Amino acid sequence: MSFRGGAPAGRRTGGPPGKARTATSSTLTARRSPPILPRPMPVLRGAVTLSRFRVEPAKEAPSDVKRWLTRGLKAHAFEPIDRRSEEERAVGFVELENEESSEFPASRLYYGEYALFAFRIDTIKVPAAALKAELAKWAAAFEKENGRQPSRGEKTQSRGEIRQMLRNRATPRTSTVDVSWNLKTQQVQIWSASRKVVDEITVALEGGLGVKFFGLTPASMAQTAGIDESALGPTAELIGMDLPATASEEMAHGEA
Amino acid sequence: MARRDEARAEAAFMRGDVGVDGGATEETQDEAEVEKGKAREQLLRGRAYLGREFLTWLLWRTETGGPLVEVEGEGVSVLFMGRVVLRGVAGEVTEMSAKGTLAPYSEQVRHSLDRGLLVAQARLRFTHGEKEFEATVDSEFLDIRAGKLPALMSEEEDDQLSERLFLMEQLSAMVDALVQDFLSVRANKRWSKSVVPAMKEWMRGDEQGADALAKAARARGRDARSARG
Repeated sequence: MSFRGGAPAGRRTGGPPGKARTATSSTLTARRSPPILPRPMPVLRGAVTLSRFRVEPAKEAPSDVKRWLTRGLKAHAFEPIDRRSEEERAVGFVELENEESSEFPASRLYYGEYALFAFRIDTIKVPAAALKAELAKWAAAFEKENGRQPSRGEKTQSRGEIRQMLRNRATPRTSTVDVSWNLKTQQVQIWSASRKVVDEITVALEGGLGVKFFGLTPASMAQTAGIDESALGPTAELIGMDLPATASEEMAHGEA
Repeated sequence: MARRDEARAEAAFMRGDVGVDGGATEETQDEAEVEKGKAREQLLRGRAYLGREFLTWLLWRTETGGPLVEVEGEGVSVLFMGRVVLRGVAGEVTEMSAKGTLAPYSEQVRHSLDRGLLVAQARLRFTHGEKEFEATVDSEFLDIRAGKLPALMSEEEDDQLSERLFLMEQLSAMVDALVQDFLSVRANKRWSKSVVPAMKEWMRGDEQGADALAKAARARGRDARSARG
């Protein structure tokens, strides 16, 4: 098993942009796409940044864990952004080794007692400044050709065409977050510090697999240990003020 | 012009922005109060104060040096190093950051803790047998950030992955063992009776505080011995 990442750039970028067919194509400024390098996998190298969870099945535990997990990941597999649509973001699970694949064969998903996979996030955005600049260029060309300024309707139509053109040319920004799941201890590590992304991944896994994620926080660990909640109110001497006992009854955020 | 002003005033009244006397219906909240309210909400959400109390307790415990808990039959020592972030709700300061190799143990930090701030984030060095780990631990979720694992011994890539996952789990187990130790003290009557007073004395920096710390450490040792016996 090799862990080197990297993938053909063509598929990741959604292929080279097709030749523009509208009148605006000639006015567009060509922009070079950034080089795509193999991504460093936090699971394998570099500083360790992760959020830790304990997993419990919401209903009864599956009999064939491996099959169940593969099916769950496939249910939330990554689908690239449809360039014809308006969507700006696509997310889903991919193989750790190959962020272009969501096949999850056992040989590439399971590693000893671990399941290793990744969550891919693609975003595609048309920069407002680029759209404005291209529109101004088009308007100038239109005026030169027709001897008048474009009408509001013509401008609106052209804006849509230019947006679509820029969208076709834009390179999606791809980021992936590694996930390691110890199937023996039922502990999951999400290798990211962004709470927003971590929450998105736990929600996707909970939805796809019918499990419940519990953050390994002191509050959740106290609950697991069966410690009486009344013994865990805020310590006024340390906090410097008395806080109402009811305040601590709020929802435990550890439950993702 | 006067007509326009009248119309504006009437529209504001209709919207409910002003009362019959022309005064605002809602008082604008004091900025400091809003900030304090946010800090308070952060502290209470999901019992986040437990994580802060844990790191504050851990800072106090590490002052004595020596192993604090056992993981896989070996003692774990912890040292706070570098940057430490304190947060609180009681005074004017809601967040404070201290930087410096020994900053966490400094008088300034201890006095700030005495005034109601708690440790919200800290850089920790864990010594487990001959291995050393480092990580920034966040009190709210106990996330591990910028963790450094001991140098890998394996050469093959597959083995390196295995070893790295194993070391990551060890680091995780050390954090969990410390939290469990904290919770056993926290849920005990001893917490408010002897531990918190000893922590407060240490924060104030009196000699008595150091004595109390040593006494508390000895008491813990006795407890542990009696539990084993």
